[in-house]
Amino acid sequence: MKQIQDSYLTGYVTILVTGEKPELFFQHCTSAGLTVWNVRKKAPNRCEGNIRLRDIKYIRKLNKKTNYKLKFIDRKGYPFLLRRFIRRKELLLGVLLSFFLILFLSNILWEVKITGVPKDIEEKISKQLQSDGIHPGAWIFSLKSPNEIQQKLVKDVPELLWVGVEQKGTTFSLEGVEKIIVEEEEPLGPRDLIATKKGIIKKMYVSNGLPKVQVNDYVKPGDKLVSGVINESSTDDNNEEEEEKGKKELVAADGEIIATTWYEVNVTAPLQTSHESLTGNNEKKFFLKAGKFQLPVWGFGTPEYKHIHREINESPIKFLKWELPVHFIETTLNEKTYTKVERSQKEAVNAGIEQAKKELALQLGPDAVIVSEKVLHETIENGKVILNLYINVEENIAKAQPLTQGD
Amino acid sequence: MKKLQQGIRPWLIKYLALPSDIVLELPRITIIGQLHVYIENHKGLATYSETELKLKVNKGFIQINGSSFVLKMMLPEEILLEGTIQEVKFVPE
Repeated sequence: MKQIQDSYLTGYVTILVTGEKPELFFQHCTSAGLTVWNVRKKAPNRCEGNIRLRDIKYIRKLNKKTNYKLKFIDRKGYPFLLRRFIRRKELLLGVLLSFFLILFLSNILWEVKITGVPKDIEEKISKQLQSDGIHPGAWIFSLKSPNEIQQKLVKDVPELLWVGVEQKGTTFSLEGVEKIIVEEEEPLGPRDLIATKKGIIKKMYVSNGLPKVQVNDYVKPGDKLVSGVINESSTDDNNEEEEEKGKKELVAADGEIIATTWYEVNVTAPLQTSHESLTGNNEKKFFLKAGKFQLPVWGFGTPEYKHIHREINESPIKFLKWELPVHFIETTLNEKTYTKVERSQKEAVNAGIEQAKKELALQLGPDAVIVSEKVLHETIENGKVILNLYINVEENIAKAQPLTQGD
Repeated sequence: MKKLQQGIRPWLIKYLALPSDIVLELPRITIIGQLHVYIENHKGLATYSETELKLKVNKGFIQINGSSFVLKMMLPEEILLEGTIQEVKFVPE
């Protein structure tokens, strides 16, 4: 019986043979090497039996030589079941639809979890995420990468010190750490304030300590601006010094000494510049990518832009928890133009000055104010203007220097 | 030559204990109660009906009588018969 065990899987048919001595037809079959089973004689000239689906072509050949009438009366097995199933369009459609539904649902963001932060900040984060398009119901492949979201969140929500963004399937989990603003409560040791740069004092605000300089004084780096020692006047006399020592009071000098400082800066500004800019015209294209093949889904044709800046955003499509080898690609084509600008010498000089100021401001920090600038020297060389600038800045030049007890 | 072969075969069976169905090309018939008859080494089907099965063998026929016969399986030299068996007869040519 081993021979017919898999017949259901491969499919079999029952044939009815009509004619003189119909059982001999099955004898022909078996001598040709085919397997026949369940042979029954229904009447003297009619006999039926089962043969395999794949043997049917040999049966047809055999019957050319013999003179029997063959009739297929039953079909059984998996291939016929499958064929019947495929023939039922609505069932097939249902299966297909459910597959697409699962595909659809696996690519939608279902939940955004925020942990580790108090309610109010959680609210803020979720609002920020909403405006960035991260909310339940959003397409996963249209989201930015967790890294980008992380950076953007930290930038947009100032209360956050750090946020960890992790994508687990259809869930976004965010773990935030709140920034705790700590008041500077450290008791400061006795100290002086000294100058860090040479300059002319413009404004003084001393909150603690004894000022040693006055407005409009010229100071060099290292000069003492505010002393942390109060009651110093009594140290003139050596004898009294011993007695007065107890009265000598040491404090942490504190204050702001704004001075006018100056810098000499060299900049070069080209007379001819070129830069590219986006015109704002853009077109979006969507592709499905499998391997190297890209199937356009939306956005056909190429826009007639002269220069194109492409932005490609690729993300895999998921089925349940598995990533399919199919990727969804969103390409944004931006029109860009190149502009070449010829500048006059004056314009170039102005641009150079602006650039120098910007660079200096970056170097000095936000507290420094650039007061004035003066062009000391100006030459044109190889289409570039070389400038030597003198810039006046108002900035805080005070720096704390601890008082050593031994002095 | 043929005479010699036929003379040597019974001797092979007797002294070397070789199975007789193979050496003499005889049918091997296995009967399970009244239910099944399993015939190997037959030379083809002669007649088959609900009540009778006749198979060609080396010398003559095997005739099986009974009722409600179904050929459960047919392979080139084997047949499995199912039904109610009443007799198995050897019919010489």
